[in-house]
Amino acid sequence: MKGWQRYSIAILLGLALGVGGAWTKIRQGFSKGAIAIGVWRTSLNYGTTQTDAFTRASVAVRGLLALPSTETLYWSATSDSDGNPLSGSCTYTMSGGTIDARWWSVTYYDKAGYLVANSADIWSFSGASVLPQEKDGWTVTISPVKAGGHWLPSAKGQGFDLTLRMYNPGDGFRAAPEKAALPTLKKGECA
Amino acid sequence: MNRWLTPLLVCAGTAVGAYCLTPAVITFGIMDRAVAKVAARSKFNHMAHGNIATPANQPIVRPSPDLAYSTCPFDLTDGPLQIDVHPVSGRYSSLSVFDARTDVVFVRNDIQAKGAPYRVVIARDGQSVPAGMETIRVKYDKGIGLIRLLLASPTEIGSLEPARRLSTCGPVKRL
Repeated sequence: MKGWQRYSIAILLGLALGVGGAWTKIRQGFSKGAIAIGVWRTSLNYGTTQTDAFTRASVAVRGLLALPSTETLYWSATSDSDGNPLSGSCTYTMSGGTIDARWWSVTYYDKAGYLVANSADIWSFSGASVLPQEKDGWTVTISPVKAGGHWLPSAKGQGFDLTLRMYNPGDGFRAAPEKAALPTLKKGECA
Repeated sequence: MNRWLTPLLVCAGTAVGAYCLTPAVITFGIMDRAVAKVAARSKFNHMAHGNIATPANQPIVRPSPDLAYSTCPFDLTDGPLQIDVHPVSGRYSSLSVFDARTDVVFVRNDIQAKGAPYRVVIARDGQSVPAGMETIRVKYDKGIGLIRLLLASPTEIGSLEPARRLSTCGPVKRL
């Protein structure tokens, strides 16, 4: 084998290893400042000039133009409490109480991060949907068929992610973000 | 084997270099495409008041269907930009300014603004700005100014249109 062929192979292999390794790390999500509570994951370290390069790239891929955590927290759920990827063919019960933020919502996205068409034109569930008598305990059903009570439609046969947005998180949250009270997600029957 | 020693070192160096550079290439690349995409819907240095996000209207990934977005893609090549913001009373809104590296170089919500209109200027280092103007200095020419406005329901967007249109952006009028 000639010298230029060896160097060509070496450079191509190096590029593949470097780009592949970086892409894998970026797809894994947040690196520094990550917090996990139940099925939810976020980072307190994005959107600022101090953000590390991999977290910055991960946010660019998964949620471009996100606000910094001082303004808004974006929690992501990609799997159920058993670690299985969320499936639009299954029914999930999401339950929660008071969320320490000025305003909050949970939005349903496909695996690429886009809203999914459904016959009800419902793509999110927010604090504004919680009735006064549900203030301390509310439940929403995520399922491909219409459910009683609060319902967030899913797309049968497709995986999905949830994003919980907390706009202007409260002082209690800021003092101990790792102890935040967040909704639970319980998997039910699958079609 | 000796003939492979130097190529292996080149391979290792290339791998390390590619690993370190890839995040920046991805970040700048995605933001550059986003700025171009938003500018294609309006134009640079003008505020566009978009419709709410639906499956048929998603200019960027992971949009919130509960917010009305107004966007000002900017290019400071020809001079600084001013953004005038008019918060809508009694509801969450914010202006955030993202540079070409996706960093938030400025954010202010309606409470921080005390519900009052305000103006900020975005300028590169060295660009002259009229005295007394609140100025955000950025490292890159391009970026996006983004106003988020919370909707109680999607049907509200029509009635809020006149209030949204009070917020504008454009070249600084007097230097």
